[in-house]
Amino acid sequence: MLNKTVLRLTKRQPARLRRRNLGVAIVALTAFGLVSCGGSASTSTSAGVLRVANDAGFGGSETMDPYDGNRFWPAINMVFDRLIGVDKDFSPIPELAESWVANDAMTEWTLKLRSGVKFHDGSDFDSADVVYSIDRMIDPTFDSPVRAVLGIIDYVDAVDASTVTIVLSTAEADLPVLLADYRALMTPVDSLDTIGKAPVGTGPFSMQTFDPEGTTVLAANPNYFLGKPKLARIEIPAIADAQAATQALLGGQVDMLLAVGAKNESLFSDTSKFTTQRIVSGDWNGIDFQVNHKPFDDQRVRKALRIAVDRQQLTDVVLGKDGGVVACDTPVWSGDPYRWDGDCAQDIEGAKKLLADAGFPDGIDIEIFTSDVEDNFVDLVQAYQEQVKAAGIRVKITMADASGYWDNVWMKEPVFVTSWGQRPAPQVLNEVFRSTAAWNETGLIDTELDGLLDSARSTLDNDGRAKKYQAIQQRLFDNSATFIPYHKTLVRAMSAKVKGVAPIVIDAVRWEQIQVD
Amino acid sequence: MTAYLLRRLAISLGVFTVMSVLVFLGVEALPGDACTALLGRSATATKLAQCRAANGLNASVLHRLIDWASGLLHGDLGFSIRRGKSVVDIVMPRLRNSLALATVASLMAFPLAIVVGVWSARRKGTRVARAVDTLSLVLMTMPEFVTASVLWLLFAVWLPLLPGVTMVSSTASLLDILPNIWLPAITLALVVFAHVMRSMRASFLVTEERPFVEAARARGIAERIVVRRHILPAALPTPINVMAVTAAWLLTGTFVVEVVFNFPGLGRIAVDAISDRDTALILALTLFGLVVFIASSFVSDAVTRALDPRMRAQVAS
Repeated sequence: MLNKTVLRLTKRQPARLRRRNLGVAIVALTAFGLVSCGGSASTSTSAGVLRVANDAGFGGSETMDPYDGNRFWPAINMVFDRLIGVDKDFSPIPELAESWVANDAMTEWTLKLRSGVKFHDGSDFDSADVVYSIDRMIDPTFDSPVRAVLGIIDYVDAVDASTVTIVLSTAEADLPVLLADYRALMTPVDSLDTIGKAPVGTGPFSMQTFDPEGTTVLAANPNYFLGKPKLARIEIPAIADAQAATQALLGGQVDMLLAVGAKNESLFSDTSKFTTQRIVSGDWNGIDFQVNHKPFDDQRVRKALRIAVDRQQLTDVVLGKDGGVVACDTPVWSGDPYRWDGDCAQDIEGAKKLLADAGFPDGIDIEIFTSDVEDNFVDLVQAYQEQVKAAGIRVKITMADASGYWDNVWMKEPVFVTSWGQRPAPQVLNEVFRSTAAWNETGLIDTELDGLLDSARSTLDNDGRAKKYQAIQQRLFDNSATFIPYHKTLVRAMSAKVKGVAPIVIDAVRWEQIQVD
Repeated sequence: MTAYLLRRLAISLGVFTVMSVLVFLGVEALPGDACTALLGRSATATKLAQCRAANGLNASVLHRLIDWASGLLHGDLGFSIRRGKSVVDIVMPRLRNSLALATVASLMAFPLAIVVGVWSARRKGTRVARAVDTLSLVLMTMPEFVTASVLWLLFAVWLPLLPGVTMVSSTASLLDILPNIWLPAITLALVVFAHVMRSMRASFLVTEERPFVEAARARGIAERIVVRRHILPAALPTPINVMAVTAAWLLTGTFVVEVVFNFPGLGRIAVDAISDRDTALILALTLFGLVVFIASSFVSDAVTRALDPRMRAQVAS
C-alpha cells in the first residue's frame, strides 16, 4: 500500500483522511511503468500561477478561521501572518512584530509591532488586532487548538497602537517560538462573523474565491510588507485521494504536492519535469506503555522494552530508506535547537539483564494494540515484534478497528501506538510529557522531570536553557514509558517550473518568494 | 396492471422500512459515533458531551429513527454533522453529477453494444467476431482502476486532450463539470459495453435457433426483415434487463472510478459517509439506491412488455 499524504498527520488533518488509502496503488504503479517507458507528460503550467493540491480533509466544512479546528490549512499562511515567524533554522524571526523583550521573570513579554502594515481591505494593522486575535486563541469557551500552545497566556494589553504586552501564567523563555505556531495568525478586530468564508489578512495573498471542495483562488497582495509576491495567483484544487493527486501532478494539472510519501518519490524521478524535496520533519510515531499496568510500572522493564530495538533498521523497514531520522525516545526533532542525540544502539544483553533484574529472567509477554487508522501504525509494531524477540520480549499484536481507535484504544489499552505532529521542544515536552499534562499518554508521574521543565522554561540564558532541555530528553531515555524510534522525513514533489521553495516544513515556506517560470 | 404496480410499490416500501432500520442499527453497532468520528483524538469528554448534546445523539436509537422517519415524510433528509450541511444540499449536486456521468456513459455504451452484439452474432465464428469476443472479456474482467489508469495515461498524459482529474467542486455548473466527465464516462462505458454486448449476442444466438425464426426464413422472408421483425424483438428483453441493472450500477456503484478521477459524484461520498458515521447521509444514499433499483426494474419490465407480445397479452388478461 502506498503512502498517502502524510503532511502533519496529527497536527492538521482529521482522522478521516487517514483512511483515504484506497487500494488504487496499481494506478500509480501502472502509471509509473508506462510513464517511465518514455511517455511525455504534458504540463500546461502557466507562468505566475501556482496550483497546489489539497486533500479536502474536512469534507467541505473547512473554514478560513485560523483558530478553528477545521481551518483550511493550505491557505491560512498565505492569507495571514504571525507576529513572529521562523527562519530556515527554526529560530524566531520578525513577522508582524519587529522586536520583543521579556521581563526578568520571563512572565511578561513586550512586542513592538511593525508599522504601516495594512490588511487586504486597506485598514491598518495595530495592537487592537493583536489583542483581539490572541483573545480568540485563548478563549476557553471556543477552545481553539492553538490554546494547547498559547494557553499559558493570561491576557494581552495594548500599550499603544504599536506595542503590546503579553502576560503569562508561567515563566516561558521560548514564548517567541510558541508564537511562531503556524496557526497563531493575526486577524482583524471583530472579524469573527466573516473570517470563515471571506477572510481579510495581512498576508502575501488575498482570498478571491474560497471553494474548499473545488478550487480556491488567491491573488497576490502587491502591498505585502515583505515584498510583492513573485506569483500572480495561487490556486488550491481539492483532490481527496492521494493517488488522484499524484495523477494530477504527473498529468500537469497541479504544480505541487505538499507531501507524497517517501515510497512514491520514484514517480517523480524525471528531473526535467519534476523536483522532489526531502523535508526533515518533527512528525513521530511511538509505542506507549501505561505505567499503571504491571510490569510497566518498573523503570527497568520500560527501559528494556526500549533498548532492545535496532532503531535505524526499524526506521528503514517502516518508512523506507532515508524515510526518517532516528530518535532516542525524544519527541524533539532533529531540526530543533534543543534536540538531544544520545547513544541508543540496540542492546539485547542490556535488555535481558534489566528484565532479569526486574524479576523476568525468562522474558515477558506483552500485547500491543494497533490499527490501520494511520500509515505506519501496523508496520511499526510488526517491526518492533521482530526486533525484540532476541531479548525475550514476546509481542502479541492486536488489531483494533480504525474508526474507534482514538476513542477506545488510544490512552485506554495498556500498550498502544501513537503519533504526533511536529512541535517545538518546549511545547511537546510540556504538552505530552509533563506529569499533569492532559495528553500524558502513559500516566507516568515524574516530578523530577516537571521540575526540570519549570527550570528550563524560566532560564534566560540560551545555552543554559538548551542544556536543561537536553537533560530532560536524556531523562526520558532513561525513565520514560514512550518508545519513540524516529521522526519522519516527508517528500514534497513539484513541477520543475516551480522555483524558490525552500526544502523545509511548510510552516516556514515563504509563499511570496515562490515563482513559476 | 394497477394492482401489480401497487403490490410492487408496497413491497418496495416494506423493503425500504426494513433497510432503514437495519442501516440505523448497523451504524449504531459500529464502534464510535458521529461525534467520535468528527472529533478524532481531540475528543475530550467535555467536547464529546457537547457534540452529542448539540446533535441529539443522546436520545435512544428508536427515538432518533422515529425522528428521522418523520422528517423524511416532510421531505427533510436530515443534517450531516461532519459536513455541517443539510443532507439535501450535499446529495443534490452530486446526484446531478452522477446522473450526468451515468447518462453519458449509457449513451456511449448501450446503442453501440446492441449494434456490435447483433453484428458479432451474425458473424459468429469469424476471426473478427472472436477478436471482439475476447476484447469484451478483457474489458469485463479488468478492474476498473486499471482501465481508468490506462485511459488516463492515453488521454491525459500522452495525448493531453482531457483533464485527468476533476478540479471543480460538486456544485459547479454542468458546463464546468462536462469536460471532466469524459474519462470516467469512457471507463464506465467500456465495462458496461462489454456486459450488454455479450448478453445481446448470446440472446440473439439463442433466439435465432428457435422454430419461428426458422419458419420465417423458410417462408423466404429477407434476412434483414427476419433480423429486425422476428429475432430482435424476441432477443432484446435479455440485454434490456442487463442494461437496466447496469444503469442502476452506473448510479450507485461507481466509487472506484470517482476516486481515481476525483469526480464529485455520489459514490465517493457514500463511502466517506460510512466512515464518518454520518447516519443521515448513509440513509439518504440507501434510500436513493433503493429508488434507483426499483425504478430500473420497473423500466426494464415496462420495456420488455412493450416489446414482447406475449407479455402484453398476459398483462391485458
